[in-house]
Amino acid sequence: MQTSQWIKNVKIEKNYKEEDGYITGTETELTHLLIKNGKIVQFISADQVITDNIPQINAKGLLALPSFTEKHCHLDKTLLGDEWRPVIPTKNIFERFEVEKKVLPTLATTTRERAEKLLNIYSHAGVTKVRTHVDLYPEVGLKNLDEVKRALHSFENRLASEIVAFPQHGLLRSDSKHLVKEALRQGASYVGGVDPANVDGDIEASLQTMIELAVEAGAGIDLHLHDADHLGTFTMKRLAELTMEAGLQGKVFISHAFGLGDVSLNQAEELAEILADAGVGIISSVPNNRKFPPLELLKNKGVETAVGCDNIFDVWSPFGNGDILERLGQLAEIYRWVDQPSLTQSLGYIAGGITTLTKDGKKSWPKVGDEANIVFIKASCSAEAVARRSERVATMFKGNIAAGEL
Amino acid sequence: MSAKAYWLTNATLETGYQLQHGVISGTQTDTFHIQIENGKIKEILPAKVSITSDLPKYDAKQYLMLPSFRDMHIHLDKTYYGGKWKAPTIPENGIWTRLQEEEKLIPELQSQAADRAKKLIDLLLSAGTTHIRSHCNVGPIEGLHNLETLLCASEDYQDKAFVEIVAFPQQGMLRSNAASLIRDALRNGAGYVGGVDPASIDGDVEKSLQTVMELAVEGNAKIDIHLHEAGQLGIFTMKRLAALTEEAGWQGRVTLSHAFALADIHGNELDEMAEILAQQGISIASSVSLSKTIPIPFLHQKGVEVFLGDDSIIDHWSPFGKGDSLEKTGLLAERFGLSDERSLGQTLQYITGGITPLGKDGDQLWPKPGDAANFVLADASCSAEAVARRAQRKAVFYQGKQVTGNLHP
Repeated sequence: MQTSQWIKNVKIEKNYKEEDGYITGTETELTHLLIKNGKIVQFISADQVITDNIPQINAKGLLALPSFTEKHCHLDKTLLGDEWRPVIPTKNIFERFEVEKKVLPTLATTTRERAEKLLNIYSHAGVTKVRTHVDLYPEVGLKNLDEVKRALHSFENRLASEIVAFPQHGLLRSDSKHLVKEALRQGASYVGGVDPANVDGDIEASLQTMIELAVEAGAGIDLHLHDADHLGTFTMKRLAELTMEAGLQGKVFISHAFGLGDVSLNQAEELAEILADAGVGIISSVPNNRKFPPLELLKNKGVETAVGCDNIFDVWSPFGNGDILERLGQLAEIYRWVDQPSLTQSLGYIAGGITTLTKDGKKSWPKVGDEANIVFIKASCSAEAVARRSERVATMFKGNIAAGEL
Repeated sequence: MSAKAYWLTNATLETGYQLQHGVISGTQTDTFHIQIENGKIKEILPAKVSITSDLPKYDAKQYLMLPSFRDMHIHLDKTYYGGKWKAPTIPENGIWTRLQEEEKLIPELQSQAADRAKKLIDLLLSAGTTHIRSHCNVGPIEGLHNLETLLCASEDYQDKAFVEIVAFPQQGMLRSNAASLIRDALRNGAGYVGGVDPASIDGDVEKSLQTVMELAVEGNAKIDIHLHEAGQLGIFTMKRLAALTEEAGWQGRVTLSHAFALADIHGNELDEMAEILAQQGISIASSVSLSKTIPIPFLHQKGVEVFLGDDSIIDHWSPFGKGDSLEKTGLLAERFGLSDERSLGQTLQYITGGITPLGKDGDQLWPKPGDAANFVLADASCSAEAVARRAQRKAVFYQGKQVTGNLHP
């Protein structure tokens, strides 16, 4: 492992470019970056000569972007690496649980192999941080957790990860509290959950149990909430209150949070303020078949927001390919973010809030002291990368090439 | 590949559905040798039969054979594709912002237009598209200049793809007084009369539609008009167009592009509108807009022909298009929850001019001797997988000729 290294001829964004009276693109500059112990420690202009003996690699003018975060996936569910398998229609989510429970143990490949297949795709797509949910239910016990941990371990030099202990069949409904508790002891750092109303049948007890487990283990929370409209927003408000009471601000997330997309914008705005105060974040998979939370409004109100791929070819859905940049492009397309500043700012949803330029077009990344987590991409600017789903040439994690090559 | 007759060996074809407990659990396939002659499929033999003829053989390596794709709505004449990145502006005045931009932009784009159109056709070909319907600006800004560019491109590519051109008065048929130029365009090779928003742009629904219809009848041309008009305005316009279609006897020769108003109506009203469109053989071209999606599977079920197009690939309207019809129909499947084996496989019809290898009941429909040899070899086990997983395209054939890929005898 190199402790110091120059990356020569890296294109970084400087400010917006105006033509014909509007912002048409982004000015960039070529620089040499010095990386030391996984951090960016120095920039010099590419026309300066490097005189030291530190090893060099050449980015040949590729654009550098902050690497991506996959904030919602299920490494234990994907069928990637296994053969094509049609999705069997089911009447409801409960039947789907049964299908999944039956099918996964019969596959010729292991959970770990399939998880690694997906992790490799993520890494090549520019991801250096993954939050995965892992199913816990009585029949599977901690087996999926074990396999996913092994997969993540084999990728530890390529990406960072966090695990959500996810009682897929209902924390209460499948009586999985002890499994979640054990998973938190064995490496999971978030308490998961799903639909306190429609799956668990008791909003209050379900939320209370999650909070209790999180407090006890010093963990965070990431709840799957499909419960729609006012049922969903009621649950979110209650979770926000419990988060404040328990002092868990900043550690609680709601995935999907469809209810926020169903209610009026005024109601969503009101709830956004509550979520911001309680430090509860929202993660969306940007579904194209349903309304989803107004992410820009939430972000503007100070709610932490992120995008994740969710299902990638599993018994639930035959779609999805693990390209988080494509997912972001879909978000931009749905909201019609076609202009340069909107596209540039959208990167924050998949880069842990980091964008290359500020809203006013001032340079904001990379800075000296930043972790060297970088995607090298064939594009003139981040806006182009988002809209055109540009080719990722290499991914750098803590100063080392994690995928592709320079 | 220049041979007029040859064998495509070891191609995978779908032969039926697998059933388990009465539910479709997969697709059955088999391997075949396919003889192609003069651009058509001549004979199909099971792969276990050995071929005795001396004709050249091209090994399809078990890849899945699918009917090649159609992009039924694109603008080849004003793309940035192949050029430098340039973001669109924020359209403060909606479509008017874009129309105003074209006054300056279109003349600037003309010097690179031929080159970019070719690059864009190459992109479509690589994704498996061999039939392209392109709108082409015709009006006072560009005269017939853009048309000449596209006619040249379509001639250059005549061995690789079928390109049909809509003479499109982007600035409004009436508003920009484009009728005589459209007439000229039809005489010079455009096959369709285009149009855009008879109310919002032209300001006179009746006269705008009448003009379109007159030009079509006079030039014996088909019609494909852009209709972005929302709600009842759009529905009213569709109904008038349907009435004029019937009067002129133009059934089966009229397309509405976008037809966004169909996303605004429901229940009996949608039912009735769909029936009118079906009766008059008015087809719909959709780009599966994610911000406003019309009920495509419902329209299809009511007998309305719906096909898909990419629309903008990258231009001053939108930067997002990818030029992959298979991705487009996968998006449609996802949008409408068409996730099971049969539904996924059937969505192929939206990008193939209605052709699917299997019928709804699993009957083998394609390919058959006599069919045009327009096909794609895809790395997938079945149509459903190809659609859901956006399968890699290994080779594309048009009229029996390999246009992308590297199969060798």
